[in-house]
Formats: sequence, C-alpha cells, structure tokens
Amino acid sequence: MYGGGNTFEGIKTDSIAQEDPVKLAEFEARIERGEKIEPTDWMPALYRKQLIRMIEQHAHSEIIGALPEGTWITRAPGFKRKISLMAKVQDEVGHGQLLYSAAETLGKTREQMIDDLITGKSKYSNIFNYPAFTWADSCFISWLVDAGAIVNQLANAKGSYGPYCRALDRICAEESFHLKYGHHCVIYLATGTQKQRDMFQEAINRWWTPMMHFFGPSDKISAHTEVLMRWKVKMSSNDDMRNQFLDMYVPKIWELGFTIPDENLKKNPETGRWDYTEPDWEEFKRVINGDGPCNKERLEVRRIAEERGRWVRQALKKAQTKYTVPLA
Amino acid sequence: MNETALKELLYKIADDQLILGHRNSEWTGFGPLLEEDIAFSSMAQDKVGQSHALYQMLQTLGEKDPDTVAFMRNADQFHNCILVELPNGEYDFSLIRHFLYDTAEAIRFEMLSESSYQPLADISKKIRAELRYHTLHANTWVKQLGSATEESISRLQRSLDSAMPYALGMFEESPFEKDLISSKIFGGEQALKERWIKKIEAVISQTQLRLPDWKALQPVTGGRTGKHSEYLQPLLDEMSEVFKIDPTAEW
Amino acid sequence: MNSLDPRVNRLPVVGKPGEISPKAPLDQLGTFEVFVQPKEGKPFQHEGIVHAPDVEMAFVLAKEAFTRRFMCVSLYVCDTRNVYVSPLTEATANAYDLISDTVEKTGGKTSFEIYHLPKRGKQHVHAGTVQAGSPQEAMAEAKRMFKNDKTVYNIWAVRTSDIRFTSAEEKDLWLTLSEKKFRDASDYKGGDKLKEFLERNNA
Repeated sequence: MYGGGNTFEGIKTDSIAQEDPVKLAEFEARIERGEKIEPTDWMPALYRKQLIRMIEQHAHSEIIGALPEGTWITRAPGFKRKISLMAKVQDEVGHGQLLYSAAETLGKTREQMIDDLITGKSKYSNIFNYPAFTWADSCFISWLVDAGAIVNQLANAKGSYGPYCRALDRICAEESFHLKYGHHCVIYLATGTQKQRDMFQEAINRWWTPMMHFFGPSDKISAHTEVLMRWKVKMSSNDDMRNQFLDMYVPKIWELGFTIPDENLKKNPETGRWDYTEPDWEEFKRVINGDGPCNKERLEVRRIAEERGRWVRQALKKAQTKYTVPLA
Repeated sequence: MNETALKELLYKIADDQLILGHRNSEWTGFGPLLEEDIAFSSMAQDKVGQSHALYQMLQTLGEKDPDTVAFMRNADQFHNCILVELPNGEYDFSLIRHFLYDTAEAIRFEMLSESSYQPLADISKKIRAELRYHTLHANTWVKQLGSATEESISRLQRSLDSAMPYALGMFEESPFEKDLISSKIFGGEQALKERWIKKIEAVISQTQLRLPDWKALQPVTGGRTGKHSEYLQPLLDEMSEVFKIDPTAEW
Repeated sequence: MNSLDPRVNRLPVVGKPGEISPKAPLDQLGTFEVFVQPKEGKPFQHEGIVHAPDVEMAFVLAKEAFTRRFMCVSLYVCDTRNVYVSPLTEATANAYDLISDTVEKTGGKTSFEIYHLPKRGKQHVHAGTVQAGSPQEAMAEAKRMFKNDKTVYNIWAVRTSDIRFTSAEEKDLWLTLSEKKFRDASDYKGGDKLKEFLERNNA
C-alpha cells in the first residue's frame, strides 16, 4: 500500500551532466521505445538512486502498512473476516518481500534497507503513522487506502524498470482482493446497525486528512520532476492521482450515506476535476519527520521483530551460501 | 453410530485448530524473516479454515453455526488441549509447538481419512494434503535450527522440554474412546500417540536436540474436558471483542 | 508500549528504541530463484526470489511466498549463483546471436534447463532441456535447438542437478489451493446487499 507520498522531495539533477552522453541517449531511446530497463543495463546514477528510494519506500510502506490493520487481526469478527484479514495482512508482508527483492536488483541489500527503516533514515507512507482505533478503521484501510494505493501502483506498473513492474503486476492482482474485501466489510457496516454505521463514519472523519496526504504534496508546492517523468520513474503527478482517487471513490462513499469532512469537496463541472480544501501540509511534514501519533510505535514494533528474529537468521546462515544480488 | 462420541471428537479437533490458528496468526507481520512470516501466516489460515469446516460439519449434526460456536462460548466449553492455548513465547516455542502439534495432526487426519463416518473421511483427505506442507515446513525448520548455533539449539531444547508435557495432553482420551474405535470412526488416541512418538523421534534424531524420557513425563491434561490454563479465557475475550459489540449484527 | 494492538502490548522489551544493537556485518541469507508451473503442460516460469540458507529451505519458503494463490501444480528453486546468464539485448537483437556456435566440447555431459526472456519486463520462461558439458556448451546447444524467428532477449541455463524439484509425493501440496477462495476478489460479493440498501434509501 503506497501512494507516492514524498518520494521525490528534494532531488538534485546535477549528476546527469556527468553521465556519458552516448549511453544516456541509448538509455533514453530505450525508454522512449517503451522497452523496460533490466538490472544489468547501464543506467544513470540518478535513475538508480531514485528507483532504490522509491521501491524501498514502497516496500517499507507494505511491512509497516501491515501494522495498523494488524491491530485487529486477533479481533476480527467472525470466521470469514478472521481468515480474510489474516490473508490480507499476510499479502502486505508478501508485497514487502517482492518489493525488497526488486530493489535489491539495484544493488542495495534487504538488510540495509530494513536497517535504514528502523533508524529512521528512509521513509514510508505517512498514513501508517495514524492509529486504527476501531474495527472500522481497519475496514477504511482495506478499502480506501488500498484503493489509493492501486491508483499509484497501476500507474507505476507502466514505469520503465522491469523488476519493479513485474513485482507490481503481481501486487496489483492481489490488491483486487484487498479492495473487494475492504468494500465488502464497509457495505456490511453501512447496511448494519446504527452503531456499525457510526463506527465507519467516525473512521472516515479520522482518516480523511491522512488519505488526502497519501498521494503527496500538491503539485503547486512539490518538487519538479520532469526528468523522472521522462525516465518513467514517476508516472503521474500527485494531484492527478489524488483526483483520480476522488473521482472513483467519493461517489461510492456518498452512495453509502456517509459524509466526508470537507465542505468544499465537490466535482467542478467546468474543470471536470475535484475541488477540495487543501489538507494541512504542515501536519504532513511534521508526521513524515517523526512527530505523528504512531511513528515511534511502528518503528519500535519493526525493530523488535528484527531483533527477536536475529538469532533465527544467524542460525540459518551457512558458510556455503552467500548473499547474491537477485537476477531479475 | 454414537453421535455424542462423534461430536466430542469433532469439537476437540476443531477447537485445537481454531485456538492454534489464532495463536499463530499473532505472528503475522512480526516474523523472524519475511518469507517465514508469510509461511507461518498461511498455516495459521489453514488451521482456522480447517476448524471452520469441522464446525460446519457439527452444524449438520445439529450444533449451532460456526460463528456462534467459535465466538460465543466460554473457556470451560472449549475442548482444545492446553498446548495450543499457551502464549506464543519466542519463535522457538511457537516452532516447537507447531512441530509437535502438526506432526500429530497429520497422523490424526491420515487415520481419519479411513473413518467410517464418510463426511469426515472425505474432508480428512483434503486436510491431510494441506498438512503435508505443515509437516514439511516444521521438519525442515526443526532440522535447521536444531543443529545450527549454540543459541538456536539451546532455545529449541528449552522449548521442547517445556512443551512436551503439554504435547502429551493432546492425547488425553475421550470418555467415548472405545465407541470411537469399535465403530471405526477414529482409531483412538493411544494408537495415534504411538505413531506420533516414532515420527517425533525420527526428526529429532537428525538434530542435536535430546528427547526427554517419555516414561518420566507427566502429561498435562484437562483441556479436553474444559479445564484450561489461565490463558484461554483472555484469548477468547480478545477474539470475540468486536463480534460481541453486537452478536446479532452482521460484520 | 501502550498500543491499540494487544499483540504489540505483549511484545517483550528488547534493546533500545531507534538503535540496532551490534551485529554481524550481514545476517542476510543466500538468494534463490523461484520457478512455478501454473498448469500441467504449461512451461515453468520465473516468479522471483526468496532469501534462504539452502535449497531445501528455499523450496519450503517459496511455496507460500509464490504459490498461495492463483494456479500452481509444481514449483522449483535453485541458488542464484547456479544460473548462467547470457548478455541482454534490446529492440530486434536476438540474444542467441551473441552466443558463439563453436565452443570447446568437453567430456561428460549433464543436463541443463534453458530459459528465455521473451520480452523485456516479462518473466523468463522455460524453453527446454539440453545435454552439455559446460554452461557455455549448454548455451550453444540451446541456440542450435531453440533459436527460431522469435526474438529472445536473454537466456538462462541451470544445471538440472542444481534444482530442488517438487517430488511426485509432494504434488498434492496444492490440492486445496483452488478452494482457498478467501484470497480471491470473487469471494467478496456485496452487490445484492448494497442494491437492497440503495433501493430502501431511495424509496
């Protein structure tokens, strides 16, 4: 579950000038033709760096994203929900596994990435720094955060880096289960008792701002990324993705009789795009930088999992097996 | 056919699977290695799924629906053995419990695939296939960690020693044992236990772990008759927390 | 920790927040390539990798990482270091054209599995088996046997003996896979309930 967030903040393009112009032209021509880049191909340093940064953030967002919904894994109501939520959270871990593998093909080990996550060096989707207070919050995540992630991931699956695209094809196929499962849970809350309806309305009220943050800062204030668009690293602007999400899901939320806590939210008949109140981008920055309601807990849980598992991994190490960069 | 005996059998197996599946699901997202996190979660899902299938079978025999049975009973109405309700501890304990329990479960369903109660025989063939992975997984891991580092060997040994009395509680006999055997519904706990010991010995002998002296062990029983440890009721309270907000609601 | 997640509240206290205690330079395991056969009669295709200490454990871990949903009848794994890789080509260039026809023939032959990359960005697919004395010879042999007018962008060769296959008795590992509908979107049909709700609301 990844919406792009702040992946491309503060990039420097100076290094491109030092690249071999012939190789750079061949590389750009390959992308222009619609061919994918594979791990053994020559690539500009900036391309490698930004891809690692993006895929790594995406992978972290999966394993950290497993935690808010995991809050309800032992309490899911009824057999059907119990098994489904287990499978759903498991998929998030699985997505992490696939994405770390894709990032590894670019030369950074999984362990280094996880260390950078735990020490706060690399980021993950901000939305997972918010708490899942009730069962309904987990339903909000399964339906709408996953829906948002699908918008971003479908766009990225058309990107230029082969291993990332392969991982995303697999992930998007699995996400269709998440989306349907989440919607199914929400339909049951919406058509259920008043208490159930209230639970979901409260979840919307809590999660709307982080959901709007999910796709990253408004285009007006976010970094310019033309070169990354040309290299098909970044596939869609933050505002375009946000708009696409609103277009697909606001009517579905309204249809169920729920309200969204933004009185300016409406589709503008002239532009065909959604008008809304800009979410508080200062809050976004504050939370990204560590000051959200759950940042500490999320990283602590991940750190403790790594530490508790260390004796296992060390016991498994064998002299004859060595770490190797994956092929594809 | 003695229906009471059959129901008692189905309840104890289904309760074991549900409670252990629930316990093992606690590892999802917290596992020692991403790949193992996924594998362990799948097996937890299998267990909960298997218990659901058996509760459905109980429903055809006149019992309440699976959700009510699973989410609305109290600890003293559960028939699971105490082994499965113990807290997860560290990964070594969870792994050893998985190894001890799933080895028995695989043999149990192999025996049940020849049950005279046809619906049970049919479903057992499927469950047996699923369990093939569970025992492959358990054996591979125990062999790896049971002969690796000083730390991994001593951790597994400690867990094996502490789990074993509870593991023997899996074979606590039912009051209907003779009926089940004579009506060929199930071959009995004693036969199961003997086969289980052989399998456990075969795997442990390939490691640097030691098995305790079987004769000196005192099995921890009581679970099959609803006498549980202090850990089961809190587990059930947690499991049904949302369900009980409104048990008549559809979730 | 004081968490909303009861599981988190049960976690033991380990180490210090934000710090990773000293550890070996790399406790990362080996890398193993995973191949899956979706259906009887279909070729195996490359699905990804797992980290594992050896090929046996890689098989066990790959099973749930890659075949817990969709179709699968068989699975195998091999150490990444045992995959011999041809150069990668682009546009209309065939990777086989970069493979030399004349390689020194060596003595004892063993079998190699050959895989093709049919398009950049897609997965490597099993093309067939050849007998050869070395990986170079296997590539040349593959060129003789499998090269046709379809462009291949990359070729892999793996010694058959380096692969951990699914055994005949293990085939029923996937027996109940098609019944695990809870992992499929199709198992979550809320349409009727939604329609009824909307009709009631609009009435």
